[in-house]
Order: sequence, then structure tokens, then C-alpha cells
Amino acid sequence: MTMAATSHDTPVETAEHHARKQPDRTFWLLAPGALWMLLFLVAPILMMVYVSFWTQTTFKIEPTLTLKSWVTFFSSDTYLGALWTTVRIWLIVLVCTLLVGYPAALFVGLFVKNKTLSTALLVLCVIPFWTSFLIRVLAWRPMLGKEGAINMILMKLGVVTQPIEVLLFSELSVIIGMTQIYCVFMVGPIAFMLGRIDPSVIEAAQDLGASFWRIFRTIILPLSMPGVVVGAIFVSVMVLGEFATSAALSGRKVNLLGNIIVTQVGSLKWAFAAVAGVVLTILMGAVVAALLRVVDLRKEL
Amino acid sequence: MNASGIKVSLGLYTALFIIFLYGPLAVLAILSFQTGPEGGPQFPIIEWSTYWYKHLFGLTPPSRIAPLPIEQALVRSLGLAVMTMIVSTVLGVTAAQAFRKKFRGSGVVFYLIVLGMMVPGVLVGLGMALVANALGIDRHWWGTAFVLHVVYTFPFAFLVMLAIFNRFDPSVEEASWSLGVTPARTFRKITFPLIFPGVLSAMLFAFTLSYDEFSRTLFASGRDLTLPLAIYGTFSVEVHPNVFAFGVLTTLFSFALLGTYAVLMALSVRRAKRMAIQEEA
Repeated sequence: MTMAATSHDTPVETAEHHARKQPDRTFWLLAPGALWMLLFLVAPILMMVYVSFWTQTTFKIEPTLTLKSWVTFFSSDTYLGALWTTVRIWLIVLVCTLLVGYPAALFVGLFVKNKTLSTALLVLCVIPFWTSFLIRVLAWRPMLGKEGAINMILMKLGVVTQPIEVLLFSELSVIIGMTQIYCVFMVGPIAFMLGRIDPSVIEAAQDLGASFWRIFRTIILPLSMPGVVVGAIFVSVMVLGEFATSAALSGRKVNLLGNIIVTQVGSLKWAFAAVAGVVLTILMGAVVAALLRVVDLRKEL
Repeated sequence: MNASGIKVSLGLYTALFIIFLYGPLAVLAILSFQTGPEGGPQFPIIEWSTYWYKHLFGLTPPSRIAPLPIEQALVRSLGLAVMTMIVSTVLGVTAAQAFRKKFRGSGVVFYLIVLGMMVPGVLVGLGMALVANALGIDRHWWGTAFVLHVVYTFPFAFLVMLAIFNRFDPSVEEASWSLGVTPARTFRKITFPLIFPGVLSAMLFAFTLSYDEFSRTLFASGRDLTLPLAIYGTFSVEVHPNVFAFGVLTTLFSFALLGTYAVLMALSVRRAKRMAIQEEA
């Protein structure tokens, strides 16, 4: 649709031959990619919205429009509970990734003056992103389990006498796992923004006698905010769409909206799955919109 | 900054942070050398052995622990990753090429493309399954799952190429054309060497992301498993160290890819430097 629009605004007055050719070229360069996205991204999402109003029978869905699936979703404790769990886990993980990631980003982005070292540290943080996500999730099982590494170390050190059982197959293990996997997406953008701070601004503040905390509060933190927002958007979108971490580490105790979708699809309840999907989409859109309100990214970047 | 106390403590914190990132993988690697078949996925290590690696390749006598269904899955995953890599990189390069000129509606197209990496896999996967059901299409890893993999990786390729083209001076190409060099030769001698690091990065992104992708594949791939789906299948049952051994191997594979990428990048940078020196001389 937008590509069609581009072929109209031809600046015919100047260099007629060239100007005629250019928009066509742009159109043909963009058409394959844009078409791919419309067919395989936008259409499936619209289909999901449409199917959420279909009639669900035991094993099938029929294209008779109804609100029944929506009513079932919002009158069921299980589904509303999943919605609440999703929001809760998302908020906790968001705060955890920020608290865990910020100091590391501060060190890499601002304190390491050697460019090679800071790049090396950043690469070290990002490498896990290129390895299997599922294996990284699974790796927490032998860490957190009753006979896992953490319990073993704590008992050797004499901190505890009994193994801590709440570490694995609980909400805590899901939060630990997600924090570890997603905090990289916080560290990257924040370190990037911190790296762009002009050192002379901080030096000036120091020369005028400002303490570190004062400098942090009035210069570093505000200037890193766009990085925090970008990181928060990444983390939010990924955590809200999660189901694998909770499937692997919670022992079915934590059910996110993503897990609801997976179980519903497994039992061929496509319409219910679609409703959960639409709710998730709306939640995610609201979160991203709210985050974009905190900082005007276009102005800041 | 001269607050050295703060610097030291932040440095220590960062070291702990790196341990936090890599610790679980290290523990997983250690436990993959547990003895089998009676050794479980926990400490202590009863005896060091490579039993679970042999188990993975079907070299051990049959035991009560079923082997991971990885042979066929590996072929599928690699095939899917190669297909995705080629299509994503081509789409990424062409789309970014279009963005070198300003045009109306560029904002909308930009967000349409970037949306692909933001929308969670579980949603696109569900949507694609619904579309396939409605149209009566069978779901396969090389069909419905493949197009979703491209939806996911094409934005990465696009953003990488956009960054490359932003630093690219079009007058170099124009100079070549005006000197009468054919477009094909210009592309080979000028354009391609300049965008090569970007193409390489786009390919790395697309291949590795597709190779590890599973939330899109879960609903869209039908009956045949890819590697990540085979791993996901073990989540609901008891985990044995054979999954850990597989994790070590697949992580090593990812590292090997990253290493190859780093070497190729270093070579391309060195070549560019040598060319620059030759020009000066």
C-alpha cells in the first residue's frame, strides 16, 4: 500500500528520465520484503484476531462469529490468573534485569577507558545470544535443583544445613532464569548510551566539586535513560511472549499467557488460544506505548 | 573518572556478572561428563566418562534412556537455517538498498519490517497455524515454519545492512560509473567489498537465529521435529545428561560459527587496509 504511494510522488520536473526510474527502482527493491511481511506477519496476526471470534466446538473451530471465547476467557480464574502472573513476572524480571544489568553497563560503557577492553567485555556479554536459548534455560536445572550446584556450594560452606527446595520448580527459578537470559538486552543499549557521554561534562562536574552520587543522579542517569527505555522494550516484548522458561523451570507451577496458548493449541482449542493471543498482543502494545512515552526516542537518539 | 573505589567495585561486579552469564553453561558442561547410564543430571560426578556423548550418537548398548531424536532433526535444522540465511540476506540487502533514497512512506515500511523481530514467536506461530488451517495447507518445516523464520531474521539483516549503507559514500560508485566501468564490475570491485562485512553479519544473524529458533517453529512446523523442538520435547520429561552433552556440542557449534565469522571479518578488514596502503603509495 505504501509502496504504491511512493510511485506517485515522482518529481517529474527535474531530470525527467532519472526521476521516472528512481521510484520504480525503490518500489521493486522493497516489494519482496514488504510483501513477505504483509503475507506472513500481518495476515497471520489479523487471522488470529478474526479467529478469536469464531465458534469453538470440541475439536474444531467454525467461522460463525461469537463472543463466547472472550466471555470464557474473562470469566475463568485460570485465564485471568495467567494474565496476572504474566504481568507480575514481567514487572519483576524487568526490574531485576535493570538492577543486575545497569552496574555492568556502567562499568563497560563509562569506566573502561580502553576501547578494546570495553568492546571485548561487551562481546563477552553478547556471545550467549548466539547460543541455543533452550540449552541456556535448561542449564539452570542442574544449578538450582535440590542436588544442584548452588545447594551443594551453600551446604559445603555451611550456610544452610538442608538443601533449599524453593530454588527450582518455583516462580523464583523462572525469575532467575529469565533475568540471566534477558539482562544482556538491558546491558547493550545502556552501555551504548553511556559510551556516548562526553567525558568533559563529567570532568567539569568533578572540578566543580560534585560527588559521584550527584554526578550519577544529575548527569549519568538522565543521559542513559534512552538506553534504559530501549532495553526495557526489548526485555518486555520478550518476557511477555515467553513460555519456554516457565515450562522448563517452574514444573507447571507458573502459567504465563504463552503457556496457555501452547496448551490450548495442544488440545485443539484454537479459538481460546487466539483470544489469549489477542490479549497478549494488546498487553504488549500497551507496554511498549507506555515505555515510549517515558522518553521521546526520536529526540534522544 | 577518578573515583577509583567505585571503579574497582564495579569491575568486581562485572566479573561476577560474567560468571552469572556463563556459570550455568559451565555446570552443564561439567555434568555432561557424568558416568552412564546410572549417573543422573546432578552432582557429585560419580565417575568421569564420555558415555552420554556416545549415547547421543547411538554408540552405547540400549538402555532404558531413549536416545535423542537428533539425526533427522539436525539435517532439517541445518537445511532450514541455510534457506533462511539466503532469503533473509537477499531481502535485507535489497530492502536496505531501497532505503538509501528518501521516499514517502519509508517510516511505515521501516516499522513493518522491524515488527518481524519484535512480535513474539508464539503469536506469529499461532497466526500462521490458523492461516494454514483455514487454507487447508499442511504445515511443514520447509514451508510455514520457513517463512516465519525469514519474518524473524530478515529485520536483523535489514538493520545490519542499513547501518552499512549509512556509512557508504555513493560517490565512489558514481565515480566508477562515470569512468566507464560496467555496473557489474563496479559491483564486484567497489560495492561488494564495501558491504561485505555487513552481508557476513547478516548471514551470521540469520543462520544462528534460525538454527536456534523454536517458538515460531513449534506451531508452524507440523509433525517433523527440528533440533530445538527435540530439546523442547525433553522439558516435560525427566532430563538426563544426554541433553547436556547435546547442549555442549551445539554450543561448540555456535562458537565455531562465531569464530569463522571473526576470522572472515579480520581478513576483510586486513584486505581493506592493504588496499588503502596501496592507494597511498
